[in-house]
Amino acid sequence: MTAAAATHASLQLVFLCALITAIATGLGALPFLFVKKLSPRRAAQANALAAGLMLGASLGLLHEGVAAGAGQTFLGAGLGVGFIVITQRLLGDHEPEFGRISGADARRMLLMVVVMTVHSFAEGVAVGVSFGGGMALAITITVALAIHNIPEGLAITAVLRPRGISLLACAGWSVFSSLPQPIMAIPAYLLVEQVRGALPYGLGFAAGAMVYMVLVELLPEAYGEIAGRQIAMLVGLTTVAMLMFQQYI
Amino acid sequence: MDPLFLILWSGFAATMAGVGALLGTRRFPLAGRGLGWANASAAGLMLGVGYAVLSAGQALVPAAAFLGAIAGLLLMGLVDAAPRAPLITQLPGASEWVLASGLHSAIEGIAIGAAATLGAPFGNFLIATFAVHNVSEGAVLGATLVESGWRRPHAALVTTGARALQPLAAVLILEVTGATPAAEPWLLGAAFGALLYLIIAEMLPDAYRQAGRTSIAAVVSLAAGVVALLSRGAR
Repeated sequence: MTAAAATHASLQLVFLCALITAIATGLGALPFLFVKKLSPRRAAQANALAAGLMLGASLGLLHEGVAAGAGQTFLGAGLGVGFIVITQRLLGDHEPEFGRISGADARRMLLMVVVMTVHSFAEGVAVGVSFGGGMALAITITVALAIHNIPEGLAITAVLRPRGISLLACAGWSVFSSLPQPIMAIPAYLLVEQVRGALPYGLGFAAGAMVYMVLVELLPEAYGEIAGRQIAMLVGLTTVAMLMFQQYI
Repeated sequence: MDPLFLILWSGFAATMAGVGALLGTRRFPLAGRGLGWANASAAGLMLGVGYAVLSAGQALVPAAAFLGAIAGLLLMGLVDAAPRAPLITQLPGASEWVLASGLHSAIEGIAIGAAATLGAPFGNFLIATFAVHNVSEGAVLGATLVESGWRRPHAALVTTGARALQPLAAVLILEVTGATPAAEPWLLGAAFGALLYLIIAEMLPDAYRQAGRTSIAAVVSLAAGVVALLSRGAR
């Protein structure tokens, strides 16, 4: 096998591994197989669940980002907040549609998918960079990220499903939100050193965007339906569960 | 952090509850954008300090920090539910709310003490946020007591007294972590859990009502980011 062929084979493997992590996101829709009808109260609980998962994921991203560069991470977080503010303004100027749904619900669902998709760019970079550290590290990161993506799919489904999106479409949007992973993994692998320096910005960007999304959309909506105490308990427990998941899986 | 300074500074924060009780019972307009932003800044600072204490706990013993966080959440939930418990509702003259406020402030004191173990900046930040938080807490308790027949100055005094458990618990935790290092990750985790509960159950709902979701989200994110950035050298 020539060196060029070896590189080509490796690129295929990098793509395949990152694609597996993306597909795993769709598994997050599965728990909703057992939930037939969602009342406004259940929808608010689902929002709180999504908020906790996203908050836990953000804290994990910040933790990793700060280890790579605190200043860059927080600059990235500021850019992430700015990105959501601008996206909200742009969506606010139009009447967005999401499938057959329009208005505020469509805007919220679009934002959720946009935020989760954008945050996947940083994870795709993580897969690509991990291949630069050897096969064992790459496989470990791939498996970890695939498992880590499942609750992210759950968070997306928790926002989409109560608004009438079918379970299959929820799984599809979850996988879609992770497609930047295979797309970003290859350039990250080819330009590993250059990309490694940009990673804290990306991690911070994703964390900032997710925290802002939780604060501006998910929590206010949940407060409209259930008591703050219940939201606090749901968000708190899912945040800690997500952090434990990231620590040990 | 010096224990004497801790008790004086957090004692001052506790007296802000009395100020809140006086203002609240006079029907002072404890609403509006300014108070919303103050609440949001306090919530953001708490979130930033929460991130710092959890990171420090995770760096010591992750499992202990996580279990501590769950314990902190559950404790706050229990204390919040206490005034509705059958045994406690039989207490006379709205004293169930005084008891609940005292327990509540004791758990907040645990968070202050845990933050103070990370260093003076964290303790100072958190005490400042509790000074803001105590105004609205005091206003609510004060109004409840006055409605139950208490005189306003007495209500303010009792409200401050209930909050006095905050500095006492803070100093106790600072001393305990100094003497028993094994307890530290548990307490750091518990502080995170208690702070997260407070932010979501109490501070954000008020802030959203007072100033709207967009500005509140921006203020909370900014304040949390500033504290988290400052926290990188904590451990």
